Amino acid sequence: MNTVLLVQSLIGGIIMGSVYALLGVGFSLTWGVMRVIHISHAAFGLIAAFVAYGCLQRWGIDPIASLVFMVPLLFCCACFVYRFLILPVTKAREVIVSSMILTFGIAIIVENIMLLIWGPDPRLITTWYTSRVFIVGPFYFQYAPVAGFVMAVAGVGVIHLFLKKTYTGKAVRAAWQQSDAAQLYGVNLTRISMITFGLAVGSAGAGGVGLALLYSFEPHAHNLWLIYLFLVVIVGGVGNVLGTAAAGVLIGIITGLSLAFLPYQWVNPLTFGLLMAVLAVRPHGLFRSEV
Amino acid sequence: MLAVERLVVKYDELTALRGVSLTVESGALVAMIGSNGAGKTTLLNAVSGLIPTREGTISWEGSLITGLTPDAVCRLGIVQAPEGRKLFAKMTVEENLQMGAYSPGPRARVAESMKRVLELFPRLAERRRQTAESLSGGEQQMLALGRALMATPGLLMLDEPSLGLAPIMAAQIFEIIGDLNRAGTTILLVSQEVLQTLSIARDGYLLENGEITLAGPSERLLADQRVKKSYLGL
Ligand SMILES: Nc1ncnc2c1ncn2[C@@H]1O[C@H](COP(=O)(O)OP(=O)(O)O)[C@@H](O)[C@H]1O
Ligand SMILES: [Mg+2]
Repeated sequence: MNTVLLVQSLIGGIIMGSVYALLGVGFSLTWGVMRVIHISHAAFGLIAAFVAYGCLQRWGIDPIASLVFMVPLLFCCACFVYRFLILPVTKAREVIVSSMILTFGIAIIVENIMLLIWGPDPRLITTWYTSRVFIVGPFYFQYAPVAGFVMAVAGVGVIHLFLKKTYTGKAVRAAWQQSDAAQLYGVNLTRISMITFGLAVGSAGAGGVGLALLYSFEPHAHNLWLIYLFLVVIVGGVGNVLGTAAAGVLIGIITGLSLAFLPYQWVNPLTFGLLMAVLAVRPHGLFRSEV
Repeated sequence: MLAVERLVVKYDELTALRGVSLTVESGALVAMIGSNGAGKTTLLNAVSGLIPTREGTISWEGSLITGLTPDAVCRLGIVQAPEGRKLFAKMTVEENLQMGAYSPGPRARVAESMKRVLELFPRLAERRRQTAESLSGGEQQMLALGRALMATPGLLMLDEPSLGLAPIMAAQIFEIIGDLNRAGTTILLVSQEVLQTLSIARDGYLLENGEITLAGPSERLLADQRVKKSYLGL
């Protein structure tokens, strides 16, 4: 077996998986904390990718730099969506089902808005460093994916630290584990859910830009992203940030290796076959849900 | 002072409280006894704002608090340690205590309160980095009490703090509750352990089927034929 190809595809897989992990942690949080399976999560990530693309084209702003205003913007946007669309639905008895239907609708609307604005053609983000590579021994690294990787690691790290170290982050975990007690000690559930949702969608923006650094994208791309989100979150254990990250990398490695060594039509059957195997053996995911 | 007047609470069709009135004076330790299903937990949850009330009023230090959300009630200093402890199972002992001081007022004094609570419960200090779920039943109850104290309560409402504990452990918990009250904390203590509860409380209420059927000083409750028969097995 070709060792260089092996290592190269391993690295490619890790990079891809880490970016999916960044997209996945927010999805996982909304699912775990709010019992909302946020179908339009990836669509918000895709909007961020398009806006970053537009900023780069028009003003030459670096896609990663554009996150400085995009993440807060998405946060506010998400708070609005939460307050006026999600919150009324969370009062329903079957939160999971009704929120899925609602956010599925949001995803369709968002997708069509993107179609209207940007059209159906695939886009590729090309920055000054896109075609650059650096070489370490027999391996070469493209700048853009490495930038996406660094951003993903930083993003997951920030979310992890937020949940573990800040009072608000601890309230998010507390509300999740024991919502009555959290309220009894002063946590405003509506406010905490809004912050959770805002952060999740904000990080989806970063994840979307990360994926846009790796692949071309068009207004339907979020559907495929969403499937990978389910994969990453279910394997990693719902709500488990580091588990989600590990699952992202694991799935990235599997996909990366099978892309390199198997015919293309085998890649997805293999990946999803493994998902089913995981669920059969460990219905709650590979990692213990530790929030 | 907490004053509840003619409170009615329903779960759909089922009426859990039928016009309950009670008062807890500042500095007092008031007991609320009654058998399973009498409505004790419902009363505490209604005061905390976790469940809506149908009729009647709840007031605290002279102002009406009926209809406030639980976090707002907590900010007023009315703190409940709920039945079954309801700890944050996967968070550490220290994080559980920090969460007790989540409201802005207590949070400003979190370091001070932490020191005091860990002195009160040295067992918790030894286990501060362990998750709550890894503690023994007695330790978990201490943590539940400690978390409530972190909220610097003006009124501490305890729901069955000895439930599921070995007798020695239960006795220790009651002793701690008595000490806390002597140190100045106002307490409303809900329990089915009638004898132990009434022996540390000065006044008590008997709740049966959603109604207060007996109220007065503990000695009078202990001497009552109904209490003797149904709750003390005498
Ligand atoms: N969430 C609920 N939904 C419906 N009925 C309830 C609920 N909680 C309690 N009840 C009913 O209300 C009554 C009072 O219950 P509770 O307040 O828990 O009593 P206690 O704490 O004295 O044991 C019981 O008949 C109980 O079955
Ligand atoms: Mg009860």
